[in-house]
Amino acid sequence: MRNFEFFEPTTLAEASRLFAQEHTQLLAGGTDLVIGMKALTEAPQSVISLQKIPGLAGVTTESDNSISVGAMTKVRAVELSADIQQHHTALAEGAAEIGSIQIRNLATIGGNIAHASPAADTVAGLLVADAQVDIASADGERTVSIDELFTGPGQTVLAPGEIITRFRLPSPASGSHYIKHKIREVMDLAFIGVAAAVNLNDGVITDARIGLAAVAPTPIRATEAENLLNGNQLTAELLAQAGEAAAAAASPISDLRCSAEHRSEMVNVLTRRTVQEAVNRA
Amino acid sequence: MAKHHVNLKVNGDEHDLLVEPRKTLLAVLRDTIGLTGTKEGCSTGDCGACTVIVDGEAVTSCMVLGVTASGKEITTIEGLAGDGELHPVQQAFINTGGYQCGFCTPGFIMASKALLDENPNRSEEEFRHALGGNICRCTGYTKILEAVLKAAEEIRTTA
Amino acid sequence: MSDYTVVGQTVARVDAVEKVTGAAQYGADVHPPGMLYGKIVRSKQAHANILSIDTSEAEKLPGVKAIITQDDVPSGRRVFATDKILYLGEPLAAVAATDPDIAEEAAELIKIEYEVLPVVQDVMEAIKPSAPRLHGDGTKDGPNRREIATQIRRLTRDKENDHSDEISKLEAELENYPDEVYYNISAESHSDAGDIEKGFAECDVVVEDTYVIPRVHQTYMEPHVSVASADSSGKVTVWASTQGPFAIRSGIAGTLGIPLTQINVIGTTMGGGFGGRFGVIITHVPAVLLSQKSGRPVRVQMTREEEFTDGRPAPGCVIKLKTGATNDGRILARQALAFWDSGSVSGASIGSTIRVRGVYKIPNLKVDAYGVHTNKSGTAAYRAPGAPQAIFAGESQLDEIAERIGMDPVKFRLMNMREEGDPIPAGATEPKVGYKETLEAVADAAGWWDREAGENQGWGVAVGDWTNGCGPGGVYVAVHEDGSVRIFHGSMDITGTDTAISQIIAEILTVPYESVTIRRGDTDSAPYSTGSGGSVVTFTMGNTAKLAAEDAHQRILELASERLNMNVDNLELRDGEVHVVTADPPKSILLGELAAYSLSTTGGPIVGKGSFARQASTPALAAQIAKVEVDPDTGRTRVLKLVASQDVGFAINPMAVEGQIEGGTVQGYAWAMMEEMQYGEDGNINPGFVDYRVPTSADLPTVESVIVEVPAPNGPYGAKGVGEPPITPTLATMANAVKDAVGIRVTELPIKPEKVVQALQSNGH
Repeated sequence: MRNFEFFEPTTLAEASRLFAQEHTQLLAGGTDLVIGMKALTEAPQSVISLQKIPGLAGVTTESDNSISVGAMTKVRAVELSADIQQHHTALAEGAAEIGSIQIRNLATIGGNIAHASPAADTVAGLLVADAQVDIASADGERTVSIDELFTGPGQTVLAPGEIITRFRLPSPASGSHYIKHKIREVMDLAFIGVAAAVNLNDGVITDARIGLAAVAPTPIRATEAENLLNGNQLTAELLAQAGEAAAAAASPISDLRCSAEHRSEMVNVLTRRTVQEAVNRA
Repeated sequence: MAKHHVNLKVNGDEHDLLVEPRKTLLAVLRDTIGLTGTKEGCSTGDCGACTVIVDGEAVTSCMVLGVTASGKEITTIEGLAGDGELHPVQQAFINTGGYQCGFCTPGFIMASKALLDENPNRSEEEFRHALGGNICRCTGYTKILEAVLKAAEEIRTTA
Repeated sequence: MSDYTVVGQTVARVDAVEKVTGAAQYGADVHPPGMLYGKIVRSKQAHANILSIDTSEAEKLPGVKAIITQDDVPSGRRVFATDKILYLGEPLAAVAATDPDIAEEAAELIKIEYEVLPVVQDVMEAIKPSAPRLHGDGTKDGPNRREIATQIRRLTRDKENDHSDEISKLEAELENYPDEVYYNISAESHSDAGDIEKGFAECDVVVEDTYVIPRVHQTYMEPHVSVASADSSGKVTVWASTQGPFAIRSGIAGTLGIPLTQINVIGTTMGGGFGGRFGVIITHVPAVLLSQKSGRPVRVQMTREEEFTDGRPAPGCVIKLKTGATNDGRILARQALAFWDSGSVSGASIGSTIRVRGVYKIPNLKVDAYGVHTNKSGTAAYRAPGAPQAIFAGESQLDEIAERIGMDPVKFRLMNMREEGDPIPAGATEPKVGYKETLEAVADAAGWWDREAGENQGWGVAVGDWTNGCGPGGVYVAVHEDGSVRIFHGSMDITGTDTAISQIIAEILTVPYESVTIRRGDTDSAPYSTGSGGSVVTFTMGNTAKLAAEDAHQRILELASERLNMNVDNLELRDGEVHVVTADPPKSILLGELAAYSLSTTGGPIVGKGSFARQASTPALAAQIAKVEVDPDTGRTRVLKLVASQDVGFAINPMAVEGQIEGGTVQGYAWAMMEEMQYGEDGNINPGFVDYRVPTSADLPTVESVIVEVPAPNGPYGAKGVGEPPITPTLATMANAVKDAVGIRVTELPIKPEKVVQALQSNGH
């Protein structure tokens, strides 16, 4: 690992000011950054830890069941939060898919998202939760929708000095589910990931949301599949159509893990499964 | 590059150290303090051999910068046995043959200890899943699971 | 039931406490004062000519104490690449510095200029004339051309007679096999029995398939490491995590031209080996060179990534296999043509191709095997080297035959298994081995005969054979005045062997297991011992330990005879005391008393010595059954049941033997289902545990092990080596179970979800 200057600011403003400099990296849980620095794919001159800034971690639930998740909340805490398990099951399930317990005790949800890997396990759950991402900098605060955050692999709309502070999850869907396609039960990276969330009104699907991970340069929503589902009762035929529409929305790559074709097929299969399970849970 | 003052409480002992920011907690424990029971198997958090308990939680110490562990309480494999008595997990690993080469064993024992502290009432399936962050190449896991279940039973009955 | 009190019993291992408390000292835990950290500079190209190596920038970095290249190897033996690089990660130089991060920075500062050459990674491409050549020409004839060419050479040599007509006819025939010239060949091996053509002609069913088995890494959890310290007198001390300290000693001596007596190798506790921990060049020699140059102790430790790029993994291979049988279930002929990927140097276990024969009576057999160079690191042994690959092909195809003739796979195997007295090659006959007993035991334990399978579930069976090796070893035993027994030897403990040795000695000296302690010496102090690989230790060192204990036993009776004034024939060692057999009232003397007596008189310390060379060993069989469930939509396979039996001869420590069976079986499962070193134009592309998938506890059920004991005539108490057999059948067991579950035959491992989905789709799913 290359050497670097280490800073532990205690305010967001100070962190933002430091982070606005060139060749700097934020340290949240460290599970991506430290490994990147060891591999020399990251060689920042300064590392700015967010760990000493108060108020960035924790899950809070409002009376309307909307939930706020601090960016420095450990992934393990997201996984185990009873409120997230109940109202945003797909997000809790996604969090539980990351690495090992030892890693989830370190990794933060903010880091998982800011790293902007299209394969991040919490991202599909945040997409189907319609998460709003609060961003702070020395200049002020702004909010972007999770589906507007990513611009490419490892790329986001975050400007120099901007730091994700929390994820706000508005009124929850009544049923959601996340499935990751993988080889090993645990410790695998997502070949693909699919999350689905629905509300049911007298058996009719409303507010269908489908989030796809590792199928495009950024995580995406499968909006055509969602439109097919909305306003309809779930049938085998509709499920098949939604699966195909989701697969059509994907533009995966072939790599050492599997082919693009396999990824597309799995989007189809897992969309059917997650939507079915989300409806079952709704 | 400036070294940082780091205060670690490891297995009850205070250590005041000057540490380069790039040194991981694992490197500090092994190279600076000389506690070599914690092992480095992959350096990328994927094998669990470096598992230690920080403020009550199991973490892969190869992913933690030593400077960020300042002020925290750390338990390593060396700190598990007290007053000449092995921890029930350690004894169970011996009794069931839950180790062979032993290189993954400290990490497995620390991960198991944290799981048992949190909840000893897990099913075998739950333990199998929860221990997925630790790779063992020798045992095929059968006797490790036997050991953890045996320790869980002992902890439940003596609690 | 056996009459034994210590052997055959499960006991806690001798190293139990140190291993569960973190006290055991592995290679990377050794830290002599003043130690430097070494780092190897590696090629970033897979095939290239080296134009220049510039170390000047690295030398300027504060903290750098030594940099070495091939110029620093006085013997000239190749340690670092000089003119040509053959694989990604090949060592070019090494650095020693005061801090591991500084060593790494220095390594990055060494500038290498390359002329990049075309790369070949696939064995079937490498044998083609168009392939880039790694080492000169390396051309060999294929089996048909080879036979014709041999005939031509024979005829040409016969100067007495004129064979010109025959020769030109044969030369014309050679033209029939123009594609049978192979390139980049590193080695070849051929064998045959019976008449293969005639054999196939008599078969009712003939099946032919190509099996592709990937290169996998032994993945011992402790990466390669050594610490070397060269003092000013020239004496070299090496702390090595190795399976064979004596092999490392002679390897260093040979490579660097240092006399044996100037090298002391201290074997540290070893974090797994599985055959991969015998290499001398990888870390030991660079550590010695760096220490010699810097004048300080140096540790060279590989990262996991380096393990994947420059370890010595198990070779992958392509096996074209053809098997014929009669409708009533007799296997008559089998033929194999195998290409083993030996990487940039020779050494792949091509001779193991013969294991396609299995444990069956196959009267007609022909095996042709080639080692092929590719732009990868070299290979080494991995648990029954070569057998899992060959047996995967053999046992997969056996199920295909069984299916075509409508016979139960277990019955088909039982029917064809060799029996005691059956002829085997080299004019010998089959000894008594529990082939059928082991297969029947696993079938019974797994519930094979009344097996049930739900939708997409299936059962698979396979067997694999292996015979333990043997080599020289020495053991000393001392009996102390408190009655305790101390063992001293030089063999590396390979997951429980020190315990087995201790049990054997306790048994013979009739003392409690707890009063025996064992110490391993370094190569300066301990008697020579063969390396701990090839399942040799329990067989070799067990026999050696027996000899040592028997020697001490004899001495004890002699001393007791003197002390008690009794004839030796009237004495018996029992429960740690020498008893006078006929005495009434009973009369005896404790071992400790005897040892004390001997010290205070003219007897001296009680010492027993065992020295052993070799004895013929007996084959062992592993038989396994798996029940799986395949998700036909995602292609994922879940193991529901995994049962493994093994003929171990005699289980000296049943818990340890079960551990070997369970661990080996899971390594086989991993090879079948997920492990695969992947290579691209630039070399290995999955050098880490993210994309090289080693199973975790979450992937598997409990492995149920079944011990079968058919004693080996020369094994200690009938024991056979147990480490290697259990990995041999699992690859086929899994493939056979997947076939049974969803009807697809996967011939190319690992059985990844994508392959299953594709195969099901081409089956019309």
